Amino acid sequence: MKRIAIDPITRLEGHGKITIFVNDDGTVENAYLQIPELRGFEKFVEGLPVEEIPRVVTRICGV
Amino acid sequence: MKLKIGIYWGAACGGCDVAILDTHEKILEIAEAADIFFWPIAMDFKYDDVRAMPDGHLDAVFYSGAIRNSENEEIALLLRGKAKAMIALGACAHIGGIPGLSNMFTREDTLRRAYIESESTDNPGGVLPSERTVNDGNELELPRFYNTVKTLSQVVDVDYTIPGCPPASMQIYSAIGLIADGMLPKKGSVIGAGDRALCDECARTKSEKKITKIYRTHEKLPDFETCLLEQGFICLGPATRSGCGSRCIKSGVPCRGCYGPLDGITDQGLKMLSALASVIDGKEEQEINATLDTVAAPLTTLHRFSLASSIPRRKKV
Ligand code: SF4
Ligand code: SF4
Repeated sequence: MKRIAIDPITRLEGHGKITIFVNDDGTVENAYLQIPELRGFEKFVEGLPVEEIPRVVTRICGV
Repeated sequence: MKLKIGIYWGAACGGCDVAILDTHEKILEIAEAADIFFWPIAMDFKYDDVRAMPDGHLDAVFYSGAIRNSENEEIALLLRGKAKAMIALGACAHIGGIPGLSNMFTREDTLRRAYIESESTDNPGGVLPSERTVNDGNELELPRFYNTVKTLSQVVDVDYTIPGCPPASMQIYSAIGLIADGMLPKKGSVIGAGDRALCDECARTKSEKKITKIYRTHEKLPDFETCLLEQGFICLGPATRSGCGSRCIKSGVPCRGCYGPLDGITDQGLKMLSALASVIDGKEEQEINATLDTVAAPLTTLHRFSLASSIPRRKKV
């Protein structure tokens, strides 16, 4: 079995990689899209003053 | 000879990359001065292309984003080896930025919230990302998610820093000009920003500050003439490097310090705390403390962008 890695995927905001497993006869057995990143906004906005949230979550994506 | 440059992001939002593009027609001048050999947001080069480069192949690498996981660190190390000049671009790489706020929590808290507890998550098996997974006999890897977010200079040797969240586009343009003209200042310098405090370039009128009450921004409307700190709003101007063009202040929004501290200051938040203590009206310690106690979320307000580079770096748990 052959393994093809497309790392990183490009021309988008964020991180991603694709791993493709190819059988000996050349057919694709499995393909995976993985998102190797997390910053943790889901958690770290907790405890911030609510009026500050707009200027924090704008940093989720700046594209 | 054309410069060879690389641009990369760790734990970032892409805003720094967009700030490069926001040089508008000047991007054509950048393209004339420099060939880009790596830039995931805009061009299709792979990590293997970078691995194949000889050491020192790139004149400059602009690294935005904090170090949140082992991949961010691994690629920072890889690029460091390929770069003559390693440049921290933007607040996340410089001082940890907004992603650094994650240092208020543990790795486990964050993973649990993001992948199990959050209202939009459907994960009945409670599966969390792991560094190695076997699915259908296929082995897959993910980077290690760190407990503590780090700045770029905490993992590699950084030659220059362009601060800001995001950095002002024209300052990135001037920085590239400095590299192209071989005019870079001494190693370790902050480039593309001022060397005074933001208050020094802020156009608001300042008199002797005597704050008796701290206001949150929803509690009253600021006026557009007077210093925001004098009006009782926490404004990080006294502890922040100038160079942003006071964009927030001009919009009536107090500074949160994205340009980081001035030279020689190790902890921007503590610098702000001492500035704050000196402008609060009151003779007795008790009186001053009572006013200081009304600052909402003091740690993450005074270290909004700089928690990962502060003295404690993270909340101890
Ligand atoms: S410094 Fe600001 S603009 Fe740049 S990647 Fe970080 S959050 Fe985005
Ligand atoms: S504290 Fe803020 S509003 Fe006041 S002078 Fe400094 S930057 Fe301007």
